Amino acid sequence: MTAQPGAARDRILRRLRSSLKEKRQLFRESVINDLPATPMTVYPPSDRLSLVESFGAKLTELSGSFEAVQRETGIAERIASKVAEWIPNGGPAITEVLSWAPGELHVPRLEQTLAELNISLFVPDDLHDRQVIDHAASLAVGMTGVEAAFANTGSVVLTPAPGRSRIASLLPLHHLILVPLSKIYPTFEDWLAKLRKEGHLETFVRESGQIAFITGPSKSADIELNLTLGVHGPKVVHAIVFDDKE
Amino acid sequence: MTVDPSAKYHRRVKQALADDRLHTALERATSRLRDKRAAAVEAIDLEQVRDQGRAIREHAIRRLPELLEQLERNLIANGCRVHWAESAVAARDIITAIARQHGVRRAVKSKSMTTEEIHLNHALEQAGVKVVESDLGEYIIQLAGESPSHITAPVLHKRAEDISELFQRELGMQPTADPAEMCATARGQLRSEFLAAELGISGCNFAIAETGTICIVTNEGNGRMVTSMPPVYVAVMGIDKVVPRVEDALLLWQVVARSATGQEVTVYFSATSGPRGTGHVDGPKEMHVVLLDNGRTRILERGYADALLCVRCGACLNSCPVYREVGGHAYGETAYSGPIGAVITPLLADNPFSAKELPFASSLCGVCREVCPVKIDLPRLLLDLRHDMIQLGTSTRYERAAMRAYTRTMESPRTYGRASRVARWLMRLLPQDRDGNVLKLPPPFSNWTRTRAFPRLAQRSFRELWRSRGPQDTASGDA
Repeated sequence: MTAQPGAARDRILRRLRSSLKEKRQLFRESVINDLPATPMTVYPPSDRLSLVESFGAKLTELSGSFEAVQRETGIAERIASKVAEWIPNGGPAITEVLSWAPGELHVPRLEQTLAELNISLFVPDDLHDRQVIDHAASLAVGMTGVEAAFANTGSVVLTPAPGRSRIASLLPLHHLILVPLSKIYPTFEDWLAKLRKEGHLETFVRESGQIAFITGPSKSADIELNLTLGVHGPKVVHAIVFDDKE
Repeated sequence: MTVDPSAKYHRRVKQALADDRLHTALERATSRLRDKRAAAVEAIDLEQVRDQGRAIREHAIRRLPELLEQLERNLIANGCRVHWAESAVAARDIITAIARQHGVRRAVKSKSMTTEEIHLNHALEQAGVKVVESDLGEYIIQLAGESPSHITAPVLHKRAEDISELFQRELGMQPTADPAEMCATARGQLRSEFLAAELGISGCNFAIAETGTICIVTNEGNGRMVTSMPPVYVAVMGIDKVVPRVEDALLLWQVVARSATGQEVTVYFSATSGPRGTGHVDGPKEMHVVLLDNGRTRILERGYADALLCVRCGACLNSCPVYREVGGHAYGETAYSGPIGAVITPLLADNPFSAKELPFASSLCGVCREVCPVKIDLPRLLLDLRHDMIQLGTSTRYERAAMRAYTRTMESPRTYGRASRVARWLMRLLPQDRDGNVLKLPPPFSNWTRTRAFPRLAQRSFRELWRSRGPQDTASGDA
């Protein structure tokens, strides 16, 4: 360890300040002198396409998949039939899903209905125990809700909280995302602008601990730029968008 | 690997030029990355986005001390520990001390050029910590005992066949040419490393000052693993990586994704502000951030602030005709190759002479400037560096004498004309090919003809032709 940790800090800052002060022209050619006050965007203000359609189309394009359901048609049944599709060839039925706490998923009576369909939820409340981690890591399907979803890129945002594990969207090979319609925004920028306007963007980012933007299944192109899926995170990502309006 | 990064410059270049496997791999990879980038930038208003990216980075460098203080304040408020390191040694000491304090025996890393820059793995291993690289490309390189050859695609110099061979030898994989199978093999190996590791280490793509947040951009999800699974997490960031606001980081993320791989966004963007919150299920219990200088303030002092704007997308590498021919290892033992590497490697080095050839290893064609998403004038910086190198006295006495003679020759039309007549006469005496190109020049010009012929000089100079035409020709314009 350095003898005086504060000394390095002060020296670095002093050197930066003095060279910034003495340089008349910092850059070879300045493009813009300062930041515009309004945040900038890659996309022009969104065309109001159907949010669900473009979210789904984008996710599908990125090797994910999606379905939109009316609340009445039974989300639990859709989950059960999707999970059944993921049973490995000749393998046993999947009866347990690594999940966020049911209260975080915004689907009434989800746990009970799934239980009737022979699927139980494994909701760890902490990972101190190695056995808990090993069990969680052995499950094939992880199920989560979202903080927000974006139509133009097919991305979702997940934040950790009590009852919302990070591992549910990270360890299993399959990730099932339940997306309430009210959480879909046209672009990141729309969502950020809303939080900014309401005055709690900074607090939200800080207090979440980690904000994860996830756009489709885990992938790599490291082997000669061949696209391979499921390198570390889920190989299969499926979103179920449901209408949560009254 | 046939190019030895620790060899001398001329030897590295020679090795690279002679390596056909390398050329295949480089051509396959860089052309695909270039095409994908081109398609991705066509879909948006590129000039506007480049101006925005540039504005954010310029603002950040201008206000660097204030932003770093703000970042530090917020990180501490979020429950992180912040360390400042002036040098690579100091950073290594800080990180090995953290590892020792927690009795760490296994560490996992996500891809980070900054930790390559400070040679962290070696230091940790000497301290008894097993370090596993978790980015698939970095993992392949680690297995092979090599170093990355590209900022964003570290294993770009290897063909799929080479990787399959390596996995069969090192991991006992069954022979296959299928990248999906190779990937599954690596997933299995790395998964157990993630679950066992006591320490996670990452670099940092952007740090948000207003919230105290470290942002990591990945496609594989290893960045999220490293910041979520081990109980202790250390992020190492160059002090140039800070941006003011949340929106700025999200904009630059999209800029980097489009420029690097032609994606609209990468699969994962993990923005970590602190350790696991109260009542949270998982996440690190302790988070450290190491703010690394290691030559960056000196870059500013030497007048190269432009180089600190870089967002490490690698677009200048993929487009550079020199990089595409020789690959990253020819640039030597550095984490940074290609045009941006040729600028920052000598600037970051303690001894500026250690990489003195790099600024000259460019044809200054300017394509790097065209593709740079933050509009860094790389050819200008390379020229300025060449100038500095001469000022520092890297040129030999012989070179200086030659430049003086050149200046005298070029000073008047008469001396120039006389010199070219002498040269033309002399060249007739030298070995030539069928078209009259000179195959072998005498020293000191022999370096030129070692790898190519010297084009024959015209039989008559332009001035001689002009004189012989007479006034009537110029008036009528008849040719």
